[in-house]
Amino acid sequence: MTSRPYTRRKFLAASAVVGSGSLVWRPAYAKGSVTAAMYPGTWEEAYRTHVAPALKKAHNVDLGMTPLFAVDQIAKAQAARGTPPFDAFVLDPGPRVTGIERGLFEKFDPKRLTNVGKLPAGAVDEWGVTVAAQVVGIGYNPKKLPRPKGWEDLLKDPWLSRLGMTGFQTTFGTVSIIEIAKRFGGSETNVEPFFTEIKKVLPKVAAIGAPASMPALFQQGQCDVTYTNTQTVDTLKSRGVDIEFVKPESGAVTFFTTVHIAKGSKEIDNAYKYFDTVISTAVQTALMQPPNNFVPVNREVKLSVNLPMANLDEMSKFVRHDWSKINPLRAGWIERFNREVSK
Amino acid sequence: MSVAAAGVAKTPARGIATLAKPAEWQLALPLALAYAAFFLVPLLLLLAVSAFEDEKITVLGFANWRKFFGDPFYWKVTFDTVKLGFLTVIATTLIGYPIALVYLGSSPRWQRVILFIVILPLLTSVVVRTFAWIVILGREGVINQTVMWLGISPAPLRLLQTEVGLVMALTQIEMPLLLLPLLSVMSRMDPNLRDASAALGASKWRTLFKVTLPLSLPGLIAGCMLVFASSTTAFISQFVIGGNRLVYLPLLIWQQSLVVYNWPLASVAALTLLVSVSLGVVLIATLGRRSKGYVHA
Amino acid sequence: MRSRRTGDFSYSLAIGLLAAIGFLILVGPVVIVLLTSFTEGRSIRFPPSGLSTQWYQLLFDATSSRQIHRAALNSLQVAGATMIMATVLGTLASVALARRSGKWARALDTFFMWPMILPMLAFGLAALMYFTFLGLRPSLELIMIGHTIVVIPFVLRTTSASMSQLEPALLESSASLGASWFYTFRRVTLPMIAPGIIAGGFLAFVASLDNVPVSLFLTGPRSDMLPIRMWGMMESTLDVRVAAVSGVLIASVLVLMLVLERLVGLTRRLRD
Repeated sequence: MTSRPYTRRKFLAASAVVGSGSLVWRPAYAKGSVTAAMYPGTWEEAYRTHVAPALKKAHNVDLGMTPLFAVDQIAKAQAARGTPPFDAFVLDPGPRVTGIERGLFEKFDPKRLTNVGKLPAGAVDEWGVTVAAQVVGIGYNPKKLPRPKGWEDLLKDPWLSRLGMTGFQTTFGTVSIIEIAKRFGGSETNVEPFFTEIKKVLPKVAAIGAPASMPALFQQGQCDVTYTNTQTVDTLKSRGVDIEFVKPESGAVTFFTTVHIAKGSKEIDNAYKYFDTVISTAVQTALMQPPNNFVPVNREVKLSVNLPMANLDEMSKFVRHDWSKINPLRAGWIERFNREVSK
Repeated sequence: MSVAAAGVAKTPARGIATLAKPAEWQLALPLALAYAAFFLVPLLLLLAVSAFEDEKITVLGFANWRKFFGDPFYWKVTFDTVKLGFLTVIATTLIGYPIALVYLGSSPRWQRVILFIVILPLLTSVVVRTFAWIVILGREGVINQTVMWLGISPAPLRLLQTEVGLVMALTQIEMPLLLLPLLSVMSRMDPNLRDASAALGASKWRTLFKVTLPLSLPGLIAGCMLVFASSTTAFISQFVIGGNRLVYLPLLIWQQSLVVYNWPLASVAALTLLVSVSLGVVLIATLGRRSKGYVHA
Repeated sequence: MRSRRTGDFSYSLAIGLLAAIGFLILVGPVVIVLLTSFTEGRSIRFPPSGLSTQWYQLLFDATSSRQIHRAALNSLQVAGATMIMATVLGTLASVALARRSGKWARALDTFFMWPMILPMLAFGLAALMYFTFLGLRPSLELIMIGHTIVVIPFVLRTTSASMSQLEPALLESSASLGASWFYTFRRVTLPMIAPGIIAGGFLAFVASLDNVPVSLFLTGPRSDMLPIRMWGMMESTLDVRVAAVSGVLIASVLVLMLVLERLVGLTRRLRD
């Protein structure tokens, strides 16, 4: 309540004019700050513990965080057109494409990052830089079910009657449903086979829930198999939940989480410093350790044994999707899901 | 009022008091102004947004209104939402009113205990409350274990993600909204009236329907309005307990505004919710006034 | 006489049974949350594995739960301010509208209910667009305004219900005895509707404390709110501290009620 960012910024601007170079008193955050939107929960906790101190130490920049889900970041930035309530986004590929289409990002210059050479090819572009990978597959309870082999097993017993599903609202839900559709003849832009198959078995599905409730539903035995990512599985496992990750036969699915500078941000320099710190080897290594369990994007990081690959180059063989093709179809899929799944 | 005005007119010495005395309707002004500034304008913004055809809000037109109202699915979702509200009101009243009666007949000490129990649901955050309902309604949950132990059903019942389960959960969550206005009205009722009714030989049922219920009606109606409005818009409870199997307007609004960023369609859904639930509230108020008139007649 | 006695018996049975179910529904989930908060295990789970107070210790730990404390402080500030603003505005308006039955008064009364009916997500989004248009940045003050608007219906309904019990003759006689309007308001109206105001104020406080959708849109980097933080903790890690927060809240309200009882006789005030 006492410290409002805008008043502090005004103060900073004023003090910069008055006393640049002179012996004027300077506050501890002399070099300024950057405000980043951050996923609440694991992400925010991990970034507060590892990124914020590293950024302070390396560049004397304070990291402020606004806990927001990817979808809320886009909505907030769009509602606040021109005066973004934060300087940096962190986004999954779907919202990222929306952000680009709606002109919510500043152009990005990869050359301004000192650590850019340590990233695998394709990790940067003119809009932003990748800070984490997510590997999506199947999570199941080994005490209650045999190990499923691939996506198609989810629609067969014994897994089907224990299946917990989510819709197209989340990135991992969308890519998982696309992969199921592919097993039945569909493609990245055609999930019709999924709807045909799911219609036949709908009453047997154990739970079709809100993404946020899946961990609790799984833990309480409402469902024992679901699609999810390695980070969630590792985190739940360390919390004593019976869950194992399975890489489907058709290959694990991966997507990248990227960061972007908000259009109209006044802290562009500090945003670059923040990004550079996040992708540094030390921070990426720390973020990979439990309880954070991130999949790193820096090639110098020695991968943990929990991850379903030996090195980052292997990930180029994982299944990836083109979200510029998926995004225009997603609204229709969500609507279709509502209709088919609700009676 | 007229008596007061006459009194003031006769004593000019109290002119200052006259100046300080607001006409009563003026007391609604601060709220009306606050609403105009912080509610009406955002609401008009929604209305304006709904009059655009495209997601980027550049082309004027009513395509989204036509899409929404030309589609039986959305009519059904609207109907289901209002239905959910009425089911919750009925369930909450059926179970909440007896609690209020027990409160009425209790000693002050027990009344304090009951009051504490009534506000308990409000003290558990919505986040953890929904977890508790997963525990209760789940396949291996409290109810199913009881049912199977009693041998009522050989297989677990499906309660989570059904309308029955959702109404049950909402009944707990909305009960304080019914009971707080109801109890505050009931606690001011004249106990002599009930005693007199009993002394005149009326049965307890008769006393309930002829004396207690009519006198407590303002509180009951107020509570029902709050329960109806709150349960129809309780997005988190609806989505977490109802899952994707039950689709209500708040879920559509969330999907359209925050997942696919189609704000015009989200605005249409929001305004539809506003209008349909307002009609429900007006209906409850009218029923309340009717039955009050009937009782007094 | 006999039929009346069986009638009274059926009354007691029916009312007793329904009330018992009611109490079970009210208390059951809370008991589950409380038991869960004392688990020895590493995640929120029912039934809990072993009993311990470790999660409460962790919750009160100044360093590892610093963010939770800050969010809790923000939320309490907002809830307090919201309660005061909503109670004042709501009470005044219900006094104004209570004894008018004209068409426009009724229309205004319904209009005042709208913030509760308009889904908060939509209001949050619209409010953010509006505040940005005014050139305001997200802050705690804006959250207070947003919350005040959405909780006012609670105050309005509970106080109007109390107002409708008020005998107009009482106020008129007070006025005709020469009492000023304000004196009548303070000494007659206010005490009579106090239960409604207290009930409404309490509802406003907890509704603000537990609000997710409006806060989501109006929070800035320094205005972290408790329910949003808890949502993240629950979703990604099944953190038991989420349940412990409810335990603390229940305990503090219990203590508060006992203290108020001692100081002002809360229940007496609610009764007489």
